[in-house]
Amino acid sequence: MSATTEGVLVEPASAARRRRWLDLTLSFCRRRPLGAIGAGVVIFMILVAVLAPWISPYDPLAIDFAAMLAAPSAQHWLGTDAFGRDVLSRIIYGSQTALIVGFGAAFIGSTVGAVIGVASAYFGGRIDLVIQRFMDILISFPLIILALAMVAVLGNNLPNLIAAMTVPMIPRCALVIRSSALSVREMPYVDAARALGYRHTRIILRHMLPNVMAPYLIMLTAFLGQAILLEASLSFLGLGVQEPTAAWGLMLRGAAVEFAETAPWMALFPGLAISLAVFAFNLFGDSLRDALDPKLRTG
Amino acid sequence: MLRFVIHRFLLMIPTLVGVAVIIFLLLRVIPGDVVEAKFMSGEGSGVSAEVLQAERARLGLDKPVWEQFAIWFWGVLKFDFGISMWTGGPISEEIELRFALSLQVALMATIVATLLALPLGIIAALKQDTWVDYAVRIFSIAGLAMPSFWLGILMILGFLIIFEWLPPMIYTPFWVDPWQNMLQLIWPALAVGYRYSAVATRMTRSSMLEVLREDYIRTARAKGLWLKLILVRHALKNAMLPVVTVIGLEFAFLLGGLVVTEQVFNLNGLGLLFVQAISRRDYTLTQALVLLVAAAFIFVNFAMDVMYAWLDPRIRYR
Repeated sequence: MSATTEGVLVEPASAARRRRWLDLTLSFCRRRPLGAIGAGVVIFMILVAVLAPWISPYDPLAIDFAAMLAAPSAQHWLGTDAFGRDVLSRIIYGSQTALIVGFGAAFIGSTVGAVIGVASAYFGGRIDLVIQRFMDILISFPLIILALAMVAVLGNNLPNLIAAMTVPMIPRCALVIRSSALSVREMPYVDAARALGYRHTRIILRHMLPNVMAPYLIMLTAFLGQAILLEASLSFLGLGVQEPTAAWGLMLRGAAVEFAETAPWMALFPGLAISLAVFAFNLFGDSLRDALDPKLRTG
Repeated sequence: MLRFVIHRFLLMIPTLVGVAVIIFLLLRVIPGDVVEAKFMSGEGSGVSAEVLQAERARLGLDKPVWEQFAIWFWGVLKFDFGISMWTGGPISEEIELRFALSLQVALMATIVATLLALPLGIIAALKQDTWVDYAVRIFSIAGLAMPSFWLGILMILGFLIIFEWLPPMIYTPFWVDPWQNMLQLIWPALAVGYRYSAVATRMTRSSMLEVLREDYIRTARAKGLWLKLILVRHALKNAMLPVVTVIGLEFAFLLGGLVVTEQVFNLNGLGLLFVQAISRRDYTLTQALVLLVAAAFIFVNFAMDVMYAWLDPRIRYR
């Protein structure tokens, strides 16, 4: 496309597109109130994570032995933990960990899965068969067991933790995307692209991938909640995020159970934060799925 | 039909072999091995290199990786999983000790999940987009959102604070004292069962919704058939397949133990065994456990496929 036609076309098109997006968003909120609530909570969480340094009342790592295991009060709204660290501040900073790991793992996992799924459908034949067999093998591992093994292999600093968590997600996404991509492959525009002699990578990335956007977005949003839960589980086992970093799963570990009777707030609030976050992501993801593709089930 | 079953059965073999290869290789890539974990932990790591070497040789860890794999896999083919590299005891015994507990919790969780999921899912589908539907959906999404281990912590907290009571911490087999046994295991089963039911409820609802829109349901209604009859005879029968699949697959994974929730309830099940095995680099035990869960999963998958094919002849001729 030459520069002149682009210059003429882009202005009104982008304005129209913007209006369309606004309309779409509004109608989504009207028709799916549950989804809108979920999206609202997600946006709130993102705000909390971004604004953490300004809104958290204490340093999440500051140890204060004078205020050990303090009950919720005006000074410490949600109480303190066994090191006297402020629980509210740790929850606020924990949202950063949860979101980074959640978005990171879900985005990488579903994107890599989508590329593999589309490539598998595009090439077909023996390549498809080999990829499918391999994905079948990976799916036979329970999510948490594969993630645990991968963490043991890669180590548990944050980027490696994210990488480890994507491994069980990739095959699940690849399977779903592949089945959608199979029908896309039969479309005339893919034939046309092939006839034009485009390279495989270009056809896969530019022509096929954008047309499996709906299942891709559905898998992505479904993984967001799962990733946050998985990170919390791994951290709870002591194999995920390490002390003293603030992470919700980590906050439920050790002292939270030991002192459950005398300091129940330590076990209560971080769990609430996990549940609320995953709940919001799922609510939003569900409604998005219903809106995009009522026939697709992710179970 | 027989051809389909045989074909599908043979397909399980490469998958299982693949699982065996992958877990075997994964474990070798993990830094450190069982000998290091045994002798180098703690402060007193004053063990000489010769001793480590001798121990590795005793466990066969000095052989080339492919040879180790061949030896192990040959044993697996004969259902001999070898000895645990950590305890030295036979792996079949290690697993047997905990299998009863894990199986019982898995069964109980499945019962809880089914009892919750079927009625809730069906009623939500029938009353789609009413407050009943919304309530059921919120209940099930909440089930997916709450970590089971946190639910477990909350239960224990509740018992402690309200009743000043704790579930028994020592495992009693069901046939020794059913009451004590239930008192201990019902809570983890409930905590996991709620999450599990959420998955099944959602599947029941969406599957029912899909079936209710089918032509034959409309025909049955147009004929003036009794609504209950339509539901039971026509709708439920067809909607149940995906639900049974979900329940079956989840059960297969639960057989491998509740990796996280077992820690909360101090249960000595397969999940805890797995976490210990992997942190001790106990290769043989980890391999056996993973293979066990994967085999259960692959088999349930196979059984479901055969059932689908049996019920729907179109699948057989694909």
